[in-house]
Amino acid sequence: MSRLYGDPIEVWTRDGEPAQFVWRDRLYLVRRVLDSWVVAREWWKTGEGDPGERRFWRVEASPGREVGSYELRYDTAGNGWLLMRAWD
Amino acid sequence: MAAPFPHLHVSSAYSMRYGTAFPEALVGRALEHGMDILALTDRDGLYGAVKHAHACAEAGIAPVLGVDLALAVPASAFTPVPGMRPPRPRTAPKQEDRVTVLARGRGWSRLARLVTAAHHAGERGAPQVTRELVGEWAGAADPRGFGADDGLVVLLGPRSDVGRAVAERRDEHARTLLGLWRAAVPGVVVELVDQYGFRDATTAVRMLGLAESMGVPAVLTNAVRYLDPADHQVGDVLDAARQLVPLHPRHLDRTTSHAYLKGGKEMAQVAAKVCAGDGERVARLLATTRRLAEACAMNPLDLLALRNSPPALHLPEVGGDPVPMLRGRVEDGLARRGLGRSAEARRRLADEMAIIERKRLSGYFIAVAGITDMIRGMGIRCAVRGSGAGSLVNYLIGIGEVNPLDHGLLMERFLSEGRVGLPDIDVDVESARRLDCYRAIFDRYGESQVACVSMMETYRARSAIRDVAGAMGLPPHEIDAIAKAFPHIRARQITASLHDLPELRESRLGEAGLDRVFRLAERLDGLPRHIALHPCGVLVGNAGLRDRTPVERSLLEFPMSQFDKDDVEEAGLLKLDVLGVRMQSAMAYALSEIERVDGVVVELDRQSGDGSDARPEVQYVPHDDQDTYDMICASRTLGCFQIESPGQRELVAKLEPRKIHDLIVDISLFRPGPVNSDMVTPYLEARHGWRKPYYPHERLREALKETHGVVVFHEQVLKIISVMTGRDLSFAEKLRRTLDTPEGRDRVRRTFVPLARANGFDDAAVERAWKVLDAFGAFGFCKAHAAAFALPTYQSAWLKRHHAAAFFAGVLTHEPGMYPPRVIIDEARQCGVKILPLDINKSGRHWQVERLGPRVRVRVRPSELGPAADPRRRADDFRISEIGKGYALRVPFSAIKGVSEAEVDRMVAGQPYTSMADFWDRARPSRPTLERIVQVGGLDALHDLHPGGPRWRPGELTRRDLVARVGELDRASAAGVRTGPRRSRHHGPRAAGPPPGTAAVQLPLGFSEHLPPGELPEMTETEMVEAELEILGIDVSRHVISFYDELLDELGVVRSKDLLRRRNGQEILVAGVKVATQTPAVRSGQRVIFTTLDDSTGPIDLTFFESVQGRCASTVFGSWLLLAKGVVRRTGTRAVSLRAVDCWNLADLAALRRSRGIEEVRALVARTPEESEAVGGRAIEYANGFRLSPYADLGPAVTTPPGRLWHASPGSSGPTAA
Repeated sequence: MSRLYGDPIEVWTRDGEPAQFVWRDRLYLVRRVLDSWVVAREWWKTGEGDPGERRFWRVEASPGREVGSYELRYDTAGNGWLLMRAWD
Repeated sequence: MAAPFPHLHVSSAYSMRYGTAFPEALVGRALEHGMDILALTDRDGLYGAVKHAHACAEAGIAPVLGVDLALAVPASAFTPVPGMRPPRPRTAPKQEDRVTVLARGRGWSRLARLVTAAHHAGERGAPQVTRELVGEWAGAADPRGFGADDGLVVLLGPRSDVGRAVAERRDEHARTLLGLWRAAVPGVVVELVDQYGFRDATTAVRMLGLAESMGVPAVLTNAVRYLDPADHQVGDVLDAARQLVPLHPRHLDRTTSHAYLKGGKEMAQVAAKVCAGDGERVARLLATTRRLAEACAMNPLDLLALRNSPPALHLPEVGGDPVPMLRGRVEDGLARRGLGRSAEARRRLADEMAIIERKRLSGYFIAVAGITDMIRGMGIRCAVRGSGAGSLVNYLIGIGEVNPLDHGLLMERFLSEGRVGLPDIDVDVESARRLDCYRAIFDRYGESQVACVSMMETYRARSAIRDVAGAMGLPPHEIDAIAKAFPHIRARQITASLHDLPELRESRLGEAGLDRVFRLAERLDGLPRHIALHPCGVLVGNAGLRDRTPVERSLLEFPMSQFDKDDVEEAGLLKLDVLGVRMQSAMAYALSEIERVDGVVVELDRQSGDGSDARPEVQYVPHDDQDTYDMICASRTLGCFQIESPGQRELVAKLEPRKIHDLIVDISLFRPGPVNSDMVTPYLEARHGWRKPYYPHERLREALKETHGVVVFHEQVLKIISVMTGRDLSFAEKLRRTLDTPEGRDRVRRTFVPLARANGFDDAAVERAWKVLDAFGAFGFCKAHAAAFALPTYQSAWLKRHHAAAFFAGVLTHEPGMYPPRVIIDEARQCGVKILPLDINKSGRHWQVERLGPRVRVRVRPSELGPAADPRRRADDFRISEIGKGYALRVPFSAIKGVSEAEVDRMVAGQPYTSMADFWDRARPSRPTLERIVQVGGLDALHDLHPGGPRWRPGELTRRDLVARVGELDRASAAGVRTGPRRSRHHGPRAAGPPPGTAAVQLPLGFSEHLPPGELPEMTETEMVEAELEILGIDVSRHVISFYDELLDELGVVRSKDLLRRRNGQEILVAGVKVATQTPAVRSGQRVIFTTLDDSTGPIDLTFFESVQGRCASTVFGSWLLLAKGVVRRTGTRAVSLRAVDCWNLADLAALRRSRGIEEVRALVARTPEESEAVGGRAIEYANGFRLSPYADLGPAVTTPPGRLWHASPGSSGPTAA
């Protein structure tokens, strides 16, 4: 079961993929990338400029010993990362 | 170094309303990526195949050809239950399943046949395949895994039935489906696509697993739709437009922008993602992809037949050896045309036959001659057009009626050694019977041997705005208003035109927040929207035609090749153009009317008889009838072919043609090039003897004397080159075609000058000759074209002069010209033809002639009789109002707005009628139709009505009384169920009982009251004309402008018939009904608006230059009745036009006069206008200094709606009806 969060996080990437991130004051290390996809923004609704796209990663990561699955999102327009969901 | 990645699944712009990039651009991008193989797999057809092969050949890349087809939906077990709503149609991405089929290196003909089969299964426009169908055409198996090398390979990607099953996690089902595919088709491959969409990667991984477990090869593609990621916006708009839905993620095919032509490195990344980083799997995937690409790479020359040496032509089947057949026919032709003894003819014939036989084209000529014979045998008028008129062979075997030897036409313009490409024979037939011709061709040759040609309708400004605005969700009426505000410009000119054109600046569309719509619409510029039947091309071939080209069903069910006219030639197919020309139909109709009314047979195509014709009344049409030329020189050519436009009327008045050759020159000169390079003035001056003709050298006199030293025809350019260089005309033709561009001219000069010097000409002469070629070589006109056109031009003028009423009847029925019906009617009136109103007992289905008295004999004066009077005096004496005297035209039933063909049939069949009720009973018109008939006077004669004059007429029946009675009749017949014809109880014969065959019906009693006459007022003249305009589109009783006579007299407006008496430079007022607006190309590069008004005494031509368009453009385009202030410009002894200074809507001025009085109007008209901003836009500049406004007429217009009251050329903005 997953829970929706939507918290802003800080992410370090390697080769274009997230390698580690900080969420709620804990550092998570990414073990592996399960899936990744992209969703283009609904450009016809937004104003001027390139609306960009949102990149999603589902990763297996752990802050210490427990491994869990997390969904991260990067928005090219806002240049920011969010943690969208987490699975226990 | 790994081999470059080959893209195997690519959709170009020829995947209509799906792809966004043209094949040339895709090939260019592939080249940049260092790729050496590129596939094109458009949706539903091979529309772009030839262009792709061409671009690849140019770039040195190997093409792969394929197609992306929909899978047929298996018959649904769902039977609709009444009351239950049927399931909504699926929109993307849940649309139909699709597979991609590639042709192996030699598999083109199987691919073409499969596509043809797909289009013939299911409904037209929705091609589909089944496994079995693909299996039928796929070819044999092969141990190496991809099928035989002349077969087909199927790619099963995520959109296929297998892919969907995998995505839905129905693994067993996916395995079954894949097994079925493998059994049906030897070459089956799993296609992996990952565009970073939500489930793409998981599906791809699972498909790879499935392929590996079943031992099916797997390849990687990117299902390309775009050139660059940013193009995905265009793709989204196309998806929405195609499905007629607004933009919303659930309707879009993809929600990412990754479907572009990625480079090798990016594809390697995708491969790594799909193979989860397993290096061995990645290598295997890429190697298999590469292996398949190499197996499917084809030699472009296999498709581009014309580029082979010799060209691999596809020859028509003529039932025998074509060479002796053609030789026999031309011999017969020599005898038949009376040329058996002519040495010149024999020499020319030998030359032509040599080339024809060398190029193996004998069969083509035999086939075309067979077709034209067949068409004429059906009684349909058929005339050759274009450069084909220059071929003696065409004349001898009866394809055309123009003798090239008479006019000095050269065959090299049509067929010569040096001309790469195939000859194209064009014939004009009656437009109304063009489809009959097509059917006859298909019946005779069989569907498998002939096909029509297609063409792509592309997005232009109006259609692009409509689709984009619709996708963005704007309301329909707003979209309509925005789109119609623009002239028929290209989509990419939209934002520029908002700024440049005064009428759009005034509309303030630029400020309406629509810039996003406009910017997107611009990006749709030139993209194909849908395929259409080319209006004239017909391919003639043999039973192997469908091995060369795929064929689909067109709207009229004629089989249509998916190649356009250029592709068809590249593929080595021979084509005949059968053009429907409305003037031919109009003339045929006129001939039938002349025979019906006067009992005279006019042999329009024969100049004289041989005395053996036994028919009592036969008229021939010699080409030197001076009466006809009188009319032309007086510029009363409205309605005639080619010479009716205001510019042409001015030119013929100045040129004063007196023979066919003069008409040939006139037609050749009337084009932007000559008009603006100033070839016209020197010609006219030399012709009238005001200047000596200039010949660069004595030896060129022979070629140029027919046009007084001015180079007008291509043929003359050829002769100049040939004489000066001493080489043959074939060589000259090659040089002539290179003169189009500045670089070309340089190249020609470097060849021409030394050859001419070597041929013995001195430097000065060579220089003079070169100057002429440099300036005019690119602007000549093909004399054969002009000669072919001059014939119907003359014939139409002859008919107008000698049988005016019948001629106008033909023109009104078939509408061949630029002017709408009311203008033609007005011209007919001015020619002395009476216009009789609609009459239910006398009107016919179409416009018909009625003779008003005994026949006027001897209409044609033989040209030998009497001394030839001075032509100028003859023209001055010419009285236009005499030519139609004694005849009338009757308004037909078909002119009634909204009438149906069935109604017209009934109304004509039931004539004569005794009363309105009788008409209602037997003709059964609909209620609106009968009301309209009454309103325009169809029953006036029968019931003795006299509208116009006093409104109140106690005791007299009026039109309004009749309209009221229509309502009563309608109610009487609507009450009660009937099974037979209507029977009204009060009118019509009293039957003894119910008529046999009708069920006994109870008629409601006491239902229809008898309306006593004189209760309702009669229509005034104004109301009559208003009704006529509305219902017929013509002011029959009285010219509309006459209602403004008082106002015009008070303002001192000058009438058309008095214009010639005005001095040059005088400023006057004119007024009239707008008849036409045009924005042709003019020399200075400005946009000029030409407007013609008609004030019932003749035409008035106005010119609006850019300096006044700022304040006038909207009024000119938007109003119907105009008052204009202009300066008189005399352009010839009988030609006058006005340079407009200001203009007003006449209806507005009349309203102003009513409310504030005439003094206000006078003050308004006398105002001095302020300067306003002109038309913008950068002029297009040609190398010789000729500049063209970007808003001058370009390209064909979208069809205008019916009921138009004036002519608007494509460069005109605004609505096209009053």
